[in-house]
Amino acid sequence: MIDMRVDIGGVKLKNPVLVSSGTFGFGKEYSKFYDLNLLGGVAVKGITLKPRKGNKPPRIMETPAGILNSVGLENPGLDVFIEKELPFLKKYSVPIIANISGNTIEEYSLMAKELNDHVDLIELNVSCPNVKEGGIAFGTKSDSVYEVTKEVRKNCSIPIIVKLSPNVTDITEMALAAEEAGADCISLINTIMGMAIDIENRKPYFHNIVAGLSGPAVKPISLRMVWQVAQKVNIPVIGMGGISNWQDAIEFMMAGADAISIGTANFYNPLAPIEVLEGIEKYMVENGISNLSEIKINGGVK
Amino acid sequence: MQRDICRILSNHKVTGNIYKMVIESRIISKKALPGQFIHIKPGDGYDPLLRRPISICDLDADNSQVTLLYRVCGKGTRLFTHTKTGDFLDVLGPLGNGFPIFHSKRVAIIGGGIGIAPLLYLSKELIEAEVYLGFRDETYMIEDFMKYSDNISIYTEDGSKGNKGYPIEALERNIRSYDVVYACGPKIMLRAVKNLCEENHIECYISMEERMGCGIGACLVCACESSSNEEYKKVCTDGPVFNSKEVNLDD
Repeated sequence: MIDMRVDIGGVKLKNPVLVSSGTFGFGKEYSKFYDLNLLGGVAVKGITLKPRKGNKPPRIMETPAGILNSVGLENPGLDVFIEKELPFLKKYSVPIIANISGNTIEEYSLMAKELNDHVDLIELNVSCPNVKEGGIAFGTKSDSVYEVTKEVRKNCSIPIIVKLSPNVTDITEMALAAEEAGADCISLINTIMGMAIDIENRKPYFHNIVAGLSGPAVKPISLRMVWQVAQKVNIPVIGMGGISNWQDAIEFMMAGADAISIGTANFYNPLAPIEVLEGIEKYMVENGISNLSEIKINGGVK
Repeated sequence: MQRDICRILSNHKVTGNIYKMVIESRIISKKALPGQFIHIKPGDGYDPLLRRPISICDLDADNSQVTLLYRVCGKGTRLFTHTKTGDFLDVLGPLGNGFPIFHSKRVAIIGGGIGIAPLLYLSKELIEAEVYLGFRDETYMIEDFMKYSDNISIYTEDGSKGNKGYPIEALERNIRSYDVVYACGPKIMLRAVKNLCEENHIECYISMEERMGCGIGACLVCACESSSNEEYKKVCTDGPVFNSKEVNLDD
């Protein structure tokens, strides 16, 4: 009998396969392909206090084995999310992770407070590269990661995941700041800042100039960062960034991830999370592994 | 919405960079409406990564056949040209909203270039429609349209085939004889059709194109400005067919 359960700050995930914010809408779309209860958890599209229209198109550019996106946190705002979008997901027993972004620390706190009774976990997005204010501005300095996490901690009782940006010199500093401020879990990575140029018009392809790179192309970077962070922190780590199949997922677990999340792969393979889950299960059975933590190299280097 | 592994029944060049492919899919051929699309994975690797949205050009439900017309414009569509009869494609669909069908109204269909693709199946459903098709120089699929419609006029920019000029010019002359206009083609044409219909208070449905990610409404990248300018529409699930009044086509 294999045990795939993962504990994130007291919330029990039935397995380690999550889906990443911004790649899964509010769940409805993918529910047509499989039962969402099969997942370990669902991180919903990033929410802000007020509705956001998002960035002017174009919003996507395909790159070798990846995509650049510039969606810019288009979302209906906190109230509409709670009233209109959340009830669908609540019909399932799958843990819901609300991903939130604020322009100020007060906005993060207010949203966390409001969401406390509606969702299972909160993921602080301090790493969106596609908005002018907030987002990544909080995630590239360890003292602001600390401050925003600390304030949100005071305002909610459900577990807090801090989603880190790879666009920093030393990601372990951010992870340690989040842990010290009371985060229950670290998730990484958000997209890597990239750019594309339209050579015919001699202009940046995106109106925002920079955009976020994701997909298989970023996997070696995300894997390295998960390894670095897992060495340093004593809280669970959710690894993500280009995971496309179960072999990738096992790599992340060996690097120290307690759970993994599927992002861009949902776009080209809607069944990716289920295929990954089945692959991990099979790998465990074939290798006589009964508990997920045994997958970590050296039984988890911490 | 389904994921289907479809066998390719034929795939060949029509003219220039325009190709026609017929695939086998019982589900899509039974369920798809005119104006819907399918999302096809080019190759099975990570480069190119994303699926490609391709309009359904025609269907044969009895034989489980789905006809696609596509223009080679990048890595993904070029890979499609390398696939052969008997190969398999990973397909999602049918996706998006089709054209609303009005049988008792006087209707016109206008298409430009590769935008004619979804209009063939539409003209099959609306055999009474008057069809205006425009091309740069080479015309294609005309005989297929002639199977379904007796009233087709052809335009080319250089006048090498059919009439010289643009189909919008003819539509403009006859606009008062229609209740509904359906359009698919380059944005500049769609904008002209939208303006023409709205000025004349004629119902107008346009099929839009945008780069897509998931194709099912989750990733929000295929955004199109709505007429209120307050929000973006998703071309994949709010469209690809829109009432012209829903969308803003200004640059």
